Amino acid sequence: MLELNNVEAIYSEVILVLKGISLHVPEGGCVALLGSNGAGKSTTLKCISGLIRPEDGAVTGGNITFLGKRIDALPAEAVVRRGLVHVMEGRKVLEHMTTQQNLMVGGHMHRDAARRRQNLERVYALMPPLANLRQRTAGYLSGGEQQMLVIGRALMAEPTMMLIDEPSLGLAPMLVEEIYAILAELRAHGLTLLLVEQNTRAALEIADHGYVMENGRIVMEGSAAQLKSNEDIREFYLGLDQSGERKSYRDIKHYKRRKRWLG
Amino acid sequence: MTDFLIYLIEGALIGQVYALIAMGFVVIYRASKVFNFAQGELVVLGGYLVWWMVLGSGLPAWVGIPLAFALAALTGIVIERIFFSRLVGESLFSMVMVTVGLLVLLRGVFLVIWGAHVRPFPMIVPMRPLILGELFISRSLLIGGAVTVVAAVGLSWFFNRTTAGLRMTAVAEDHQIAMSLGISVKRSVAFAWMLGAVLSTVGAIVFLNGKSLSFLASDIGFAALPVAMLAGLESIGGLILAGLVVGIAQGMAAAYLDPLLGGGVSTVLPFVVMILILFFRPNGLFGWKLIERV
Ligand SMILES: Nc1ncnc2c1ncn2[C@@H]1O[C@H](COP(=O)(O)OP(=O)(O)OP(=O)(O)O)[C@@H](O)[C@H]1O
Ligand SMILES: [Mg+2]
Repeated sequence: MLELNNVEAIYSEVILVLKGISLHVPEGGCVALLGSNGAGKSTTLKCISGLIRPEDGAVTGGNITFLGKRIDALPAEAVVRRGLVHVMEGRKVLEHMTTQQNLMVGGHMHRDAARRRQNLERVYALMPPLANLRQRTAGYLSGGEQQMLVIGRALMAEPTMMLIDEPSLGLAPMLVEEIYAILAELRAHGLTLLLVEQNTRAALEIADHGYVMENGRIVMEGSAAQLKSNEDIREFYLGLDQSGERKSYRDIKHYKRRKRWLG
Repeated sequence: MTDFLIYLIEGALIGQVYALIAMGFVVIYRASKVFNFAQGELVVLGGYLVWWMVLGSGLPAWVGIPLAFALAALTGIVIERIFFSRLVGESLFSMVMVTVGLLVLLRGVFLVIWGAHVRPFPMIVPMRPLILGELFISRSLLIGGAVTVVAAVGLSWFFNRTTAGLRMTAVAEDHQIAMSLGISVKRSVAFAWMLGAVLSTVGAIVFLNGKSLSFLASDIGFAALPVAMLAGLESIGGLILAGLVVGIAQGMAAAYLDPLLGGGVSTVLPFVVMILILFFRPNGLFGWKLIERV
């Protein structure tokens, strides 16, 4: 459904951040994009959605196709119209607007008011806490509520595929579970997902395939099961030792030396 | 007592004229974050277009005025395309400098096209005062006040309830988020300039009705600035109240302080009120507060 072929991207005309990324997301699938801070995960999503351009970035090589058509030259609004939405990192709600206004503006491209209403009720049914916060100013919602809101707002566009960037960031474990339950439900309804996460454990629970990025390159790829049992992933991302015991922080530290896919 | 009432009512109504002019400013600011120092020039532009379409060409007002609105909208979009569309994302400072440049440029263009001499402005609204007992109230100011309130209510409804308006509000909040939702920021900003230019033309009609028109009328842009700042730059509804505060304060100063202190107080007072209020409420009375959560 989504195909990245040797994609290169730069910021400010000089900073090369992606150095040839290739990945594939099949229709109805859920693919996780993992990697440490600054690896270029968010940049990869921005290349796909076109949001790299307003940040003074550009795709300088390779190509991106969605449903068989090139999208790397499209402006962000055209990508959304094709059914591909990007939920950005950091719970970017429209702070001074109400919950309901945030949702309604998410569905602005649909001319039919009845259809927008119907989608709105669907979002409230999927995320009941939001239904009680309709008239609340979005900037004052809790972190979990804001994460639900940005997911709901993206759903209002009736996407066939969602790019979602670190939905678990800064949320308590219970809320992470809640958010992932929502994502799982969306998957079950046929939404294709490309998920960027630092929370490898949560991501590999829901994903069926994963890529690991370091330094602007894909350094490892495999099914979720393969990645979960991979020694390096277990050590660096899941913090487990061979027997599956959780490592103490002191033990993890010296493993940094062994990052064998670096470079 | 009657005098006091007249000063009060006149001040309040003149404040609504400021609010109407400020509305054009706020609409542009919301969408583009451009602090438009050339707002007064947009009013003069609207004034000349109305003069041109009504007195200059001899068309009846009901044809000439809509034509003037259309031309104003067109000019708004041309200004945006030429000066601002390439500046999206540039620093606030360069944006402001461009608006100052625009101010000088528009002044020059007016002088070239329409010359420096003072022209009569058409009387769109009857000048005959409304007499309520002992009170004589300017009918054009009264109608102007009503236009302001209707425009503010209409725009608030548009920005908060309609899909197209919510799009504009999302753009006002954050360009990047708006883009991620599939909103064309470029189109929204262009539309804001069109709307701002049309509102400025409405403002010109109310402000200049039956008076005379020259490029100096642009001073109204600066007089309206305290109202925009006081309302908080993002709030349309807040302009009504801010207009009342500034207008009444100015009216009272003109009536009771100017004779004592020798004029000038009423001209400066709006800016003093603005500075005082901003001192205590940096976002104005109704502006968007910075939301900081932990
Ligand atoms: N707008 C920008 N201009 C210049 N450099 C940028 C910009 N955005 C990101 N970068 C750089 O690109 C690199 C990759 O950033 P990116 O945000 O894609 O990483 P990430 O994998 O999402 O990291 P994190 O997990 O911390 O979110 C970083 O080195 C970052 O400093
Ligand atoms: Mg990131």
